[in-house]
Amino acid sequence: MSEHQANKHDNRAAYQQDTVMDHEFDGIQEFDNRLPNWWLWLMYGSIVFALFYWIVFHTLELRKLPREQFEEVMAEAQEIQLAKMMEAGVDNDFFVAMADTPDKVAEGREIFVKHCVACHLDQGQGLVGPNLTDGNWIHGCEPMDLFKTVSDGVAAKGMPAWQNQLGPTRVMSVVSYVMTIKNTNVSGKAPEGEPCQF
Amino acid sequence: MEATNTQMKTVVYDDSIVRAFSIITVVWGIVAFLVGVIVAAQLSFWQANLGLEWTSFGRLRQLHTNAAIFAFVGNGMFAGIYYSTQRLLKTRMANDMLSWANFWGWQLVIVGAAITYPLGLTQSKEYAELIWPLDILVVVVWVIFAVNFFWTLAKRNEKNLYVAIWFYISTIVTIAVLYIVNNLQIPTSLTHSYPIFGGVQDALVQWWYGHNAVAFFLTTPPLGLMYYFMIKAANRPVYSYRLSVVHFWSLIFLYIWAGPHHLLYTSLPDWAQTLGMIFSVMLWAPSWGGMLNGLLTLRGAWDKLRTDPVIKFFVVAVTFYGMSTFEGPLLSIKSVSALGHYTDWIIGHVHGGALGWNGFMTFGILYWMWPRLYGTKLYSNKLAETHFWIATIGILMYVVSMWVSGVSQGLFWRALDAEGFLKYPDFIEGLTNSLAMYHTRLFGGVLFLGSAFLLPYNMIMTARQGAPATVSVQVPARKPAGDQESAWALLTSAPMLFIVGILALAIWFGASGTMLSPIILALLIVVSVGAIISYGLHQKRWGHWYGLIERHALVFTVLALVAILIGGAVEIIPTVIQSNRVPRVITDEMIADDPALAETAKWMQQPYSPLELAGRDVYVSEGCYVCHSQQIRPFRHEVLRYGDYSRMEESLLDHPFQWGSKRTGLDLARVGGKYDNLWHYLHLMDPRSTSPASNMPTYPHFKRKTVDAAVTRHRMEVLRRLNVPYTDEEIASAEADFASQGQLIADDLAGKDVNIAPDSQMAAVIAYLQRLGRGPQPVSAVPVTAGK
Repeated sequence: MSEHQANKHDNRAAYQQDTVMDHEFDGIQEFDNRLPNWWLWLMYGSIVFALFYWIVFHTLELRKLPREQFEEVMAEAQEIQLAKMMEAGVDNDFFVAMADTPDKVAEGREIFVKHCVACHLDQGQGLVGPNLTDGNWIHGCEPMDLFKTVSDGVAAKGMPAWQNQLGPTRVMSVVSYVMTIKNTNVSGKAPEGEPCQF
Repeated sequence: MEATNTQMKTVVYDDSIVRAFSIITVVWGIVAFLVGVIVAAQLSFWQANLGLEWTSFGRLRQLHTNAAIFAFVGNGMFAGIYYSTQRLLKTRMANDMLSWANFWGWQLVIVGAAITYPLGLTQSKEYAELIWPLDILVVVVWVIFAVNFFWTLAKRNEKNLYVAIWFYISTIVTIAVLYIVNNLQIPTSLTHSYPIFGGVQDALVQWWYGHNAVAFFLTTPPLGLMYYFMIKAANRPVYSYRLSVVHFWSLIFLYIWAGPHHLLYTSLPDWAQTLGMIFSVMLWAPSWGGMLNGLLTLRGAWDKLRTDPVIKFFVVAVTFYGMSTFEGPLLSIKSVSALGHYTDWIIGHVHGGALGWNGFMTFGILYWMWPRLYGTKLYSNKLAETHFWIATIGILMYVVSMWVSGVSQGLFWRALDAEGFLKYPDFIEGLTNSLAMYHTRLFGGVLFLGSAFLLPYNMIMTARQGAPATVSVQVPARKPAGDQESAWALLTSAPMLFIVGILALAIWFGASGTMLSPIILALLIVVSVGAIISYGLHQKRWGHWYGLIERHALVFTVLALVAILIGGAVEIIPTVIQSNRVPRVITDEMIADDPALAETAKWMQQPYSPLELAGRDVYVSEGCYVCHSQQIRPFRHEVLRYGDYSRMEESLLDHPFQWGSKRTGLDLARVGGKYDNLWHYLHLMDPRSTSPASNMPTYPHFKRKTVDAAVTRHRMEVLRRLNVPYTDEEIASAEADFASQGQLIADDLAGKDVNIAPDSQMAAVIAYLQRLGRGPQPVSAVPVTAGK
């Protein structure tokens, strides 16, 4: 490179690698070497990329912006979920059967320990939330009512809606577990709501 | 100088100011690292919060960041600038009194920060948390520094300005602009204020500032210092002058646009987010230009790397700079930000920059400069080597552990199971998963802190073997001719017209619609090609033109100022205008006139009740935003975990905004109503009682301390001046509403066997948390009628 041959342009002919410029600052000298080509291409490339990105997303609007992409993702997921619920045929009997399945109950217990004990305590005897081990339920007597309570929550009483965070399968398991501790009568919070049988 | 017929005079440099700044740099550096180790320990072991309100993570974190940035790097920058500027301009600093006012004023700011942050006095804007009286002090000190610097520039005995000086100039003007705009605020008392911008505006202005504090406080000054100290230490000519020119101007012009990359996927308008991203990508090459000029200068001097600890510090510093400035653009790409934002990856990224680039740069400068200030050699190269190696290992442990922890958090939060629901619904699992990495980080931090003590020891011993040196230089008695060109001729020359034309067309292109844009794009390409041809044909003339600018300090400064104003103006002004057009109160008649307003009305935030506002002020003062965001991004996993994604209208009335930048805890944008008051009480008193693995500090003082209704009423009046639509009735009944809402919460808790005072901070914070993401809540037992 330093042996760069003279060509038609004077300024090019004048170029020599590692030529010290004619000024100095406190003993600091400077070369005036050419910019490395790969560096120049990096710079040009990123400018072209920036223009291209802007044109695709904002000028021509060929691709969807984040919020539009999100709506698509959610709509798809919703459809899949609905189809699965239909397939499973969730009703009261479904939960009674599930509460009889030790694996499902054990799964439910695990979820209960992670998410529910802060308010209902380890054995379900109640603290912030009601005692789950007496014979009373507050928001309806059927398993489907319990499923609804856990899924949608009871905002007024501080019960969170778990549907989104846990997803329906986990909510079903935890409902099946809670059904099994009903009437175990662990001493804790006094009974609230109505006595229930099913 | 060789000219025999020129009369010479002697200039004596003021190095006592450099010695003072050097010493204080080390002192504050160790404080900053120590507080860093403490806050790292708090994330590993919550007990390290000590159960005291003054030492909780939320309050100490800002002390750590401010000490590192402004006290350590800042004083190091002053030391280096005062040393190199005098030598590069061949003159003593213009006025010693100004230099010392700069020194003592800056230390006063830092002491002020160290006192106010633990007391909970903060604006909650990252790296701009100082309360307004201290903000004013910062501006005064900065103006003193600027006057001293530019006066020195005017007195210089050197015709041209060296590249280091260019970087100093851009630093001084840009920091002034950023700091003042981001701190525009209305005081409500001696220690409290509300920023004039709210919600999305405040977020954009803050990150325009925040990102460019990194650019113009942590990047341009060390780059300038690199061009002096590293080149001196290498004793080789700078690799390329033209690379300096190209990377300096592209760097300062592009940097200022990149702020919105901190706000990707938030409710900031999409066009501004995209600008933040694409300008960050374009910033990659200019950033690497600085690294290249540094590293390529060492060609032929690499043998020094083996023997000279100073070169070791510089080379690793520049390498970390290169790594951080690759990682930055990478993290700014939207899909990468989706994974990395809010996680520890960002913490790792900034520490690679702060410890590696800024820390090692500062250490290198001190090891090189200190012996020269005492006319001697460094006491021990061996100790400096030891410092280097231990600190390097410390940084690597820090950065790598945060990468691992950050990427796993990102993956963990977004993981969905086969059914499309959260695979890890429990947020705390992500934290537990990171604990081993937190311990590793802590250990790395301890290594960095421990090794830093070797520096003052070496400095003391060096000073003891020498004596304060007086350095002087012979300069011509008459000032060299500079600044003689007509400023107007420079500004209207062909190169300038090309540059202005290209920038104007590029901005016009961005703003134009589908119809017009092809024409403007064609024009843009024609003018750019024209510029390239013109440069090719008249390379000498372009070079000469730049040489003239380079010696015209005023023109140079004005051009630098214009270069950094463009990006901010293009992003901030339209966003402010656009969001100011959104009506704060939307009536049914307005919707009848303009049905599009119905959607806005659905999301439009309504003012906080007095007690909620008081609670919010406590939340701000505790620095809750340091670990809890209030901004849900439009991703399925976030919406499943936290609720619907955040809309711009929902936080427009928030002064300051609380979107946050990190999630050590959960997002709180829609926490209102999710739990009952008792849960919040138990959780604030002892977070472990409701989530056993939490590392959150305890807040028992919320129960003990009170909030003041009269103060809150005054603050509501101030907020009303900032366009928050409080009605006359609401302000008149502020004290009554304050008391009755507090009573409601106290009564509710009393029913659950917990007693708190209705005017306790506890009641206020619970009121605020219960309001988040929801409309107005009852403020008294008598239901309020809607109609705000």
